[in-house]
Amino acid sequence: MDIVVDVIGAAVLFLGLSLATIGLYGLLRKPDVFHQLHASGLVTGPAVILVLLASLSTGSTAIVTSSILVIAFVLVTSSLSLHAIAQAALHRVTHRDEDDDGGDPD
Amino acid sequence: MPEIVALVAFAWSSLLLLGGGLLLLRSRDTLHRILALDVLVAFVICLLTTLSYLNDVSYYVDAALVLAILSFTATLVAARYVIRGRPF
Repeated sequence: MDIVVDVIGAAVLFLGLSLATIGLYGLLRKPDVFHQLHASGLVTGPAVILVLLASLSTGSTAIVTSSILVIAFVLVTSSLSLHAIAQAALHRVTHRDEDDDGGDPD
Repeated sequence: MPEIVALVAFAWSSLLLLGGGLLLLRSRDTLHRILALDVLVAFVICLLTTLSYLNDVSYYVDAALVLAILSFTATLVAARYVIRGRPF
């Protein structure tokens, strides 16, 4: 029974690292910020969560509780930070001609 | 978790961190740099987690949590700075 838990934990860990590698390859290949956001969502979301989820096979209670805390935090904040970057990129595309004349008046 | 698995995962995460540094060096724009730093922090979280599996201690994951909080606020503030020209 112990070896099954070890194998599943290693599989989840290496799946997460493979997703991170695929996301990094996409980030290095794609030219635009909007395209890169897609690959970056793979790294900051599922890859980190799978690597942290592999802590369930360590059997240590302290590591598992800390990892679940980090998973809950990453689930909330990764999408929020990517949304903020996407908003900034969209603002830069749509307001490119307005920024040349001295900034906004407010 | 067997030690060889944690060791291979640690080496893999280190290589990912190296690739993230290459991504940061290749970025041309402010937004590319913000995105690259966000991804780099995700890689550092993976590295700290595998280090915690390797040494079988828990406080590296707590360090990863603090790093995630700092990265979140930094990304939000930097994105707002790009939009408005000031952080708040």
